Amino acid sequence: MTRVKRDTIAYLFIIGFCIVMLTWAIPTYTPEYPGYGASPALLPVVSVSLMLFMACLSLLFVGVALFMNKPLPVEESEFPEDLEDDSGFTQVGRVKMYHLASIMIPCVLLVVAIEYIGYELASFSFLVILQYVIGSRKWIQSILVSIALTALLYIIMRYGFGVPVPGPQIFE
Amino acid sequence: MEMIIAGLQDSISPASLMFLFAGVAIGVIVGAIPGINGPMAIALFIPVTYYMTPLTAIGFLVGLNKGAFFGGAVSAVLLRTPGTPEAAATSWDGYPLTQQGKGEKALRMALYSSVAGDFMSTIVLIMIAAPLAAVALFMGPAEIFALISVALTVIAGIGTTSIGRGLIAAGFGILVGLIGTEPVTALPRLTFDVYQLGGGLSLIPVAIGLLAFSEILIQLEKITLKGSGECSTHVFSSKREDRLLSLKEFFASTKTLIRGSLIGIGVGAMPGLGAPVASFMSYDQAMKRSKKKEEFGKGSLEGIGASESANSSVVASSLIPLFVLGIPGNLAAAMLMGAFMIHGMQPGPLLFKENAQLMYGIYGSLILASLFLMLIGRFGMRYFCKAVNIPAMILYPIVTFTCIMGAYLGRSSMFDVGVMLAFGFIGYYMRKFDYSYVAFIIGFILAPEWERALQQVVIISQYDTYMFFQRPVAMVLMALALFVIVRTFWGSIKDGRKKQVEAAAAKAGQHKGD
Repeated sequence: MTRVKRDTIAYLFIIGFCIVMLTWAIPTYTPEYPGYGASPALLPVVSVSLMLFMACLSLLFVGVALFMNKPLPVEESEFPEDLEDDSGFTQVGRVKMYHLASIMIPCVLLVVAIEYIGYELASFSFLVILQYVIGSRKWIQSILVSIALTALLYIIMRYGFGVPVPGPQIFE
Repeated sequence: MEMIIAGLQDSISPASLMFLFAGVAIGVIVGAIPGINGPMAIALFIPVTYYMTPLTAIGFLVGLNKGAFFGGAVSAVLLRTPGTPEAAATSWDGYPLTQQGKGEKALRMALYSSVAGDFMSTIVLIMIAAPLAAVALFMGPAEIFALISVALTVIAGIGTTSIGRGLIAAGFGILVGLIGTEPVTALPRLTFDVYQLGGGLSLIPVAIGLLAFSEILIQLEKITLKGSGECSTHVFSSKREDRLLSLKEFFASTKTLIRGSLIGIGVGAMPGLGAPVASFMSYDQAMKRSKKKEEFGKGSLEGIGASESANSSVVASSLIPLFVLGIPGNLAAAMLMGAFMIHGMQPGPLLFKENAQLMYGIYGSLILASLFLMLIGRFGMRYFCKAVNIPAMILYPIVTFTCIMGAYLGRSSMFDVGVMLAFGFIGYYMRKFDYSYVAFIIGFILAPEWERALQQVVIISQYDTYMFFQRPVAMVLMALALFVIVRTFWGSIKDGRKKQVEAAAAKAGQHKGD
């Protein structure tokens, strides 16, 4: 998939999102106009309309360029190689779905597990799994780092800030 | 006068000094780690400041930001991996010096230039912010509404190659910022019957997700794909002349430092431009005006001075629009604005009237932060360099877990952790698809203030459609917002046409070759 195709899909997704917001979400989940001041729906509608307008305009530019068979700039028609220089605000490139899932799934599981098995076990397991996922095969190092970090943040939260540690506690 | 003395006294209280020192030290360490920059560090540490007094909290965060700017130069000089975009120009001359065994000398030049630029900029901030704020007090809701509109249009261009995508991101940020209780009716809006959204989305999980977690996802992706878990360790030359920076060498760059600082102050005071612009502009000017042009790019101390003095002077000068108008000029200022709001203050001209003592305390902390940066950088340089050598496979899981617990810490809520993960996911896609997360964050922060100003305008003017035409300043600002959009669009169309011509020429050349 070229970048222009991917951007087109993104614009279509944004257009779909804006239509859903304008036709269903904003009318349903915005209070009714109280009779004074600006309507509560005004700024949400303005911001969504701005998104919709810009997405349509961008799509139009791409469409006109393709229709008139104009050659697209290289960075639009092909994917740039992954930048060696990782500075800058955006890191345009391919989405690595497998990688993304391999990081996000343990994070989501941590959020769920912490409520059931408690902070200590869930955090320790999460850290060991995360280190494994990113390629660490030094088991002793992984376990030591996981124990140390779990304990350190426990102490900071519990005794430093007096914040309740999430989930059921082993050391109560 | 009493206020000034009391404020300065507050800034030298043991707690303030301790946290300011810690802020600068942590900032340098965090900034030295590739991939982590000042705003990201602020996002990670805002939850910690919940438990501090406002002055200590703001001092800590300002110190963190100042430290991170210098820290960015450490990885730029030693690894040629600028942790921040503004440190890229520093790496052009810093890394060649490291290859020659003169890394310590390069870092010293970066440190002294950073402190010089930062100090000059802080003095300018102190001199002009309060008088400008007094003038800004005459601005009404119409002017504030128009000013925020200008800021949003200017900022939409940051961090993306397309103004269209920038505006989409800004619009999305505003939409997300409007979730929560509507100010006039006091009823929930866009909460989808999720009771945790009743108070709106907290800045902390959103900022940690977009700034820190999404960056971590990308850094982890690189590690996983390239398998570069270990960093090379650099050895400094033991020769005195290779390690130390002589006064002669430093003062040879005096003009460059002054010019760089002035460029940084000017650029920082204008919303939307930011440190990278200052850094590159200063480097470019230094190279054009230098007597030793040929040394640039091969290890010129002047080049390092130009880049570092300019980017560090942006730190304080970017607070000018924040303190005077309540408009964050860049991402770090936006995060500081969030911190002010968390501590119950609204940045803007009223800040000087309502919290004068605190403001003078912040001024004191800003000056002290420069001194601490000098001390910490001077004596801790060798130790901070070790931060860049921490194996990524240990470092990034630690930062990931800190992101998760940082999001929890703000309101002791696992819901906020979920929000952080969701915005981390969105931020990852925004980066990959070239949508500006800077515009999103600033839109998110400014949305409630924008709406408040609009409501005030509508209620005060009693639905007068021509209200903006009756306020000349507001009218000029709205025209400016329109001008910015039209000009940027025109520029991008011209740029697009130029690229198409180049692409056509390249295609024609290819056919000829075939």
